[in-house]
Amino acid sequence: MSTKKKIYIVGESPLVEEYASLCHNKGFIPSVRLNPEHTAAKLPKGIARASKPARDTYLALELTNTDLESKRTNLVQLEKVLTRGTSILSSSVAVSVSEQASWISHPELLVGIGALPSLLQNELIEFAESSATGRAAREEAERFSTNLGKKSAFVADSVGLVLPRILSMLTNEACFAIAEKVASGSDIDTAMKLGTNYPLGPVEWAEKIGARQIHAVVSALYHFFQEDRYRPSPLLLLAARQNTFMRLGS
Amino acid sequence: MGRGIAQVAAQVGLDVLLYDVSGPALKVSLAQIKESFRKGVEKGRTTAAEATQALSSIHPRKNLSDFGDADFVIEAAVEVMEVKKELFRKLDTVVGPQTILATNTSSLSISAIASLTKTPETVVGMHFFNPAPLMRLVEVVKGQQTSAETVKRTCELAGLMKKTPVVCSDTPGFIVNRVARPFYGEALRLLGEGVATVEEIDRIVKLAGGFRMGPFELMDLIGIDVNYAVTKSVYEQFFQEPRFRPHAIQRQMVESGFLGRKTGKGFYTYDRDEH
Repeated sequence: MSTKKKIYIVGESPLVEEYASLCHNKGFIPSVRLNPEHTAAKLPKGIARASKPARDTYLALELTNTDLESKRTNLVQLEKVLTRGTSILSSSVAVSVSEQASWISHPELLVGIGALPSLLQNELIEFAESSATGRAAREEAERFSTNLGKKSAFVADSVGLVLPRILSMLTNEACFAIAEKVASGSDIDTAMKLGTNYPLGPVEWAEKIGARQIHAVVSALYHFFQEDRYRPSPLLLLAARQNTFMRLGS
Repeated sequence: MGRGIAQVAAQVGLDVLLYDVSGPALKVSLAQIKESFRKGVEKGRTTAAEATQALSSIHPRKNLSDFGDADFVIEAAVEVMEVKKELFRKLDTVVGPQTILATNTSSLSISAIASLTKTPETVVGMHFFNPAPLMRLVEVVKGQQTSAETVKRTCELAGLMKKTPVVCSDTPGFIVNRVARPFYGEALRLLGEGVATVEEIDRIVKLAGGFRMGPFELMDLIGIDVNYAVTKSVYEQFFQEPRFRPHAIQRQMVESGFLGRKTGKGFYTYDRDEH
């Protein structure tokens, strides 16, 4: 990318650091604001903290999955301080884009993004639009993805989108199996990798993504669909409180 | 599956008795094992001398009474409880208490099979994955009464056969067929809800998740009928637990005869030579 465009990223750790780091590496100028309970997180080199975006910020990202109150506050604040017309990409794995759109005055600027920790290492970024999302915002999301060296996919607006929903439900099932003493977490990982060629086992995924993040997605699915199918495993809840799986699963 | 397991055992130097109730079926199995060894030599996976040696250590048998001295019996009959129970009833009268009786099953209860024998502590599940010569995983399934010694010896045998054993309890679907259910179930629901198409879901799972195959590609490979049967089995065995509920799309595909690669049409369409 030839021009140095400014990006403002707010939300929770480690998503903020991961996106900021990649943006920095791809020639953007990212500045970030972490949610109050995440401010102790260490930022990668070259990433500045900023309480509000620069006037010439061209794109903003809101990356909060585990605390919807903070997410709503962040979106409302962003809309107030961003230059009018600036698009916002907001993680939509634990709340639909449509619900988020109802929180703000200019929903045409909002695009959902399937942001979970560690997924940015892969080749594709998942996006979703609400019925109010404008064409310009969608095109901005596609350009952003291309500038990060990623492919993009747009899916219909639904809590969890595609990959976060599948991964979280795999992990939730693994948690039920661990709690029922079907097998240890490490044996479940081995079985899923060797028996089905998964790149990682469900406990390994959960360790990379974070138990709180997985729990946030499953809980949101449960809340959204009101179906027992999406009931979070009690072990997942315990893991989310500690934000680790290994001690529970091994 | 039985011939694949026999092949693997023979390849690591074990003396194998291969049983089938039908003489012609036994001949076919031996011919297929021979062909598999021939291909292995052709592809440089084994030498001609090793293949000859392995083949000579497989002894076809038409009578279960010949199994009296076996250290280990691995039953790999069809996935029908009555067939397996009948075999175990017979084996129980033939083998001694030192013989471990393993059943290769993906869905049947080890404890139920073991209950028919005098020594349920020596009965264990040994779930190989298809194709057995290539897939490294073996689920070693502990029945209600399976002893720790039996589990240990079964894991040792799996290791000797160059497999990776994982120990699990005797619950529906064991590990893989249970934990993998959401991979297919959520993909089907996403499709049914119109969130994304078959192609989009597979693309996202592969490119955003790093999976080698998407859920629909995998269902086509496994067989949509097979996948549906496993889902129904796990669902029923868990007393209609909603997490395992099959999807109407699966049933419709099966009823339409769209079973995946093997019929040339499933979630994708295949050319004849792709089957």
